Amino acid sequence: MASEVKHRIRPKEKFNFFQDQRVRSAFYQLLTAGIVGWLVWYLVSNTANNLQTRDMSTGFGFMDVSAGFDVEFKLIEYVPGVGTYFDIFLIGALNTLLISFFAIILATILGFIIGVLRLSNNWLVSKVALAFVEIFRNVPLLIQIVFWYIGVFSLLPTVRNTIDISFGSERVLLNNRGLYMAWPVPGDTFWMTALVFIIAVIGVLIFRHRAHKKQDQSGVQTKILLPSLAAIIILPLIVYFATGMPLEWDVPVLEGFNFVGGATLAPAFLALLVSLSIYHAAQIAEAVRAGILSVNIGQTDAAKSIGLKSGKVMSLVIIPQAMPSIVPPLISNWMNIVKNSSLAIAIGYPDIVSLFMQTSLNQVGHAVEIVGLTMAFYMLISLIISGLLNIYNKRVQLVER
Amino acid sequence: MAIITQQKTAERPAPISETSVLGWLRINLFSSSFNTILTLVMVFIVYLTISGVLAWGYLDATFVADKRRECYDFSLTGACWAGVIAWLDNIFYGRYPREELWRVNMGGLLLILWMIPLWISRVRGKILIGVSVIMFYPFLAGYLFTGGEKSWFMQFMVTGAFLAFFVNMANMLIGLTMNTSMDKFLLRLIGQSEAPDKTQRNILLGLVVLSFVIIFSVQSSWIVDGVSWTKWGGLFLTLVISGIGIASSLPLGIFLALGRRSKLPVVRVLSTGFIEVFRSVPLITVLFMATTMFPLFMPEGFFLNKLVQVIIAVVLFNACYMAEIVRAGLQAIPKGQFEGAHTIGLGYWGTMGLIIMPQALKHMIPNIVGNIIGLLKDTTLVSIIGLFDILGMLRSISKDVPWLGLHKEPLVFGAILFFLICFSMSKYSRHLEAKLSAGNKH
Repeated sequence: MASEVKHRIRPKEKFNFFQDQRVRSAFYQLLTAGIVGWLVWYLVSNTANNLQTRDMSTGFGFMDVSAGFDVEFKLIEYVPGVGTYFDIFLIGALNTLLISFFAIILATILGFIIGVLRLSNNWLVSKVALAFVEIFRNVPLLIQIVFWYIGVFSLLPTVRNTIDISFGSERVLLNNRGLYMAWPVPGDTFWMTALVFIIAVIGVLIFRHRAHKKQDQSGVQTKILLPSLAAIIILPLIVYFATGMPLEWDVPVLEGFNFVGGATLAPAFLALLVSLSIYHAAQIAEAVRAGILSVNIGQTDAAKSIGLKSGKVMSLVIIPQAMPSIVPPLISNWMNIVKNSSLAIAIGYPDIVSLFMQTSLNQVGHAVEIVGLTMAFYMLISLIISGLLNIYNKRVQLVER
Repeated sequence: MAIITQQKTAERPAPISETSVLGWLRINLFSSSFNTILTLVMVFIVYLTISGVLAWGYLDATFVADKRRECYDFSLTGACWAGVIAWLDNIFYGRYPREELWRVNMGGLLLILWMIPLWISRVRGKILIGVSVIMFYPFLAGYLFTGGEKSWFMQFMVTGAFLAFFVNMANMLIGLTMNTSMDKFLLRLIGQSEAPDKTQRNILLGLVVLSFVIIFSVQSSWIVDGVSWTKWGGLFLTLVISGIGIASSLPLGIFLALGRRSKLPVVRVLSTGFIEVFRSVPLITVLFMATTMFPLFMPEGFFLNKLVQVIIAVVLFNACYMAEIVRAGLQAIPKGQFEGAHTIGLGYWGTMGLIIMPQALKHMIPNIVGNIIGLLKDTTLVSIIGLFDILGMLRSISKDVPWLGLHKEPLVFGAILFFLICFSMSKYSRHLEAKLSAGNKH
């Protein structure tokens, strides 16, 4: 349309300053820029003024100051009184990423299962899935998080009456202080097992690629799943036993009033993980259902008529066609999981908002810098995730007309 | 040999295995052995869930007690609803003075009465009613809730609100009984329905001014006690925050969306930047920003209270989501509509206001309702920064001495309350969507 306007032959008219489109557009833009610029200047000057009268320092110097408080759950080395506020920022960011990562995986798997169940031809199954979706979608996430934390994970048996959920082997233990798991500690020669495992995975990838090529050219299908699984599982196992089982288990043991050793997940982490996964699984299930329904019913009929079983109809015909309409809402849900993990603050899981934006801000001030950094962190994540979405959309669009 | 009969063969009923309850069961629940197993497993799970919830929440539950201990005396495994019942007023109204509760109820009732005509097909002038709600109701409700001395502006707006409300009610009654609009009815009443347009307008204007003056003089003596915002709480506060959030984020969102689609680069870049920044961060960070940075933004000696800070944050945050909904709605309008509007000589605002927006809003309704539900749910976050909204109230029950440690029941009650509100809203929006798109088919 723009080109049409350019090439249109204009009748010669008198130049009217107030009616000319370019003048008007420049005027409105200047006006907007002026108003926004004035607003920004006004806020900044007020802030500078306030900071000065309250004798508050500015700048990121505080990031090198050592923080005095301890953090219960951390992925990097940190000693209170030695570690700096930058370490606190890192711990918070990593904790946010950790919980988001696991919640994304769980929510996606659960969401796909429930979305497919929602379309089951078994009346009871589809109604139960519907009830699940409607209940967890319509209750605020914060209420769910607090409920799981206070109403479930804090009410578990005490350390004395710990539940063993690994059927008596005392490797996975659950009590009101969290989930205790035995953690593998690799020995000296364990690298050989790992190496064989990596080689097996690479080999399987090449094998798969060849098999697909062969099918494209000759139509002959090669069995992939069983040989691949065998290669990935059995080969490393052989090496593992041959090198003398170089893997120790760090088992949680009751010492005094608490368990020591192994890996521990705090109740806050578990509550957040469960509630985020369930809440977002309900949303993802709806996206999956809508995506599957968007595929023409004729596709199912056609797939059945060439003799595919109903499982294969789903996995080979329907799901691949539904993916382009499932993936965008799916990825925006992932983004929401990252954002909603900030509700951790309500139950004391040390994520970036609760560690950096609340505790650190209360201790050192520097509101502008801390709020800015935290927001920048979320914006970076959002940029990365929407970048992924763009790449996917480009790939899908190539297939389309 | 052909067999030819003169009559139609009698119709046979469908086989009993297809139509009876048994047939339905066979098709929907036991169509294959796998389905049968699935059904049985599901029946077991559903039975466990429902019986467990029923036993905890009703059969073993205590409804009358003065202390949590008394609940335990009655049953150890059941819910203790007595605590929730004792706190009902707090859950709904917060610490609003008990003798002034009628004001909150009145505010809600006025809003419902005001909106009722929108659902009655015989009432005329729905757009005016909608505009009057948005323009005047907030001031009337604001005065009802806060009270105290009225400034001259508040007096003016409260008068306008009363006038609009009474006209609206009269208009509804006239529409229901006589199936006409109020202005036509009034003109007919004084025998001027044939008069020239200008005379009619002057008469109506005179009536409006007259009734405005009368109401103004009556309301100036109407003063209710001041109630500080710190006493607001519970569901009431949640609804106030989300109500203001919804009402102001829609217009703001429309402007942001238009800005993002504008041909002017400066406007486009600024709107896009604003929208994307707020959409990529969690609400809780925006709330923290509001409580920690807004005080720094203000000129010296000027102080915003926490409620206003929170409301500004919610409005800014939600407007960005609304803007994206509006933008999606605008994108669904075919280009021919823009071009058609240009050819009949409409300018930018004429095109948008008369041609594009009315069509686009129809597409947006499901998403807007979804956004409203989301905002209502998100409003619970204000409890994190220390406002006593419904979640804040529910969580403080467990700190009240007689009900010390009562956590689960209040949360379940809140969850049920939110479920009822949000679920009915989303059902209604689906109904509305079906109704509107039915008129769209050729």
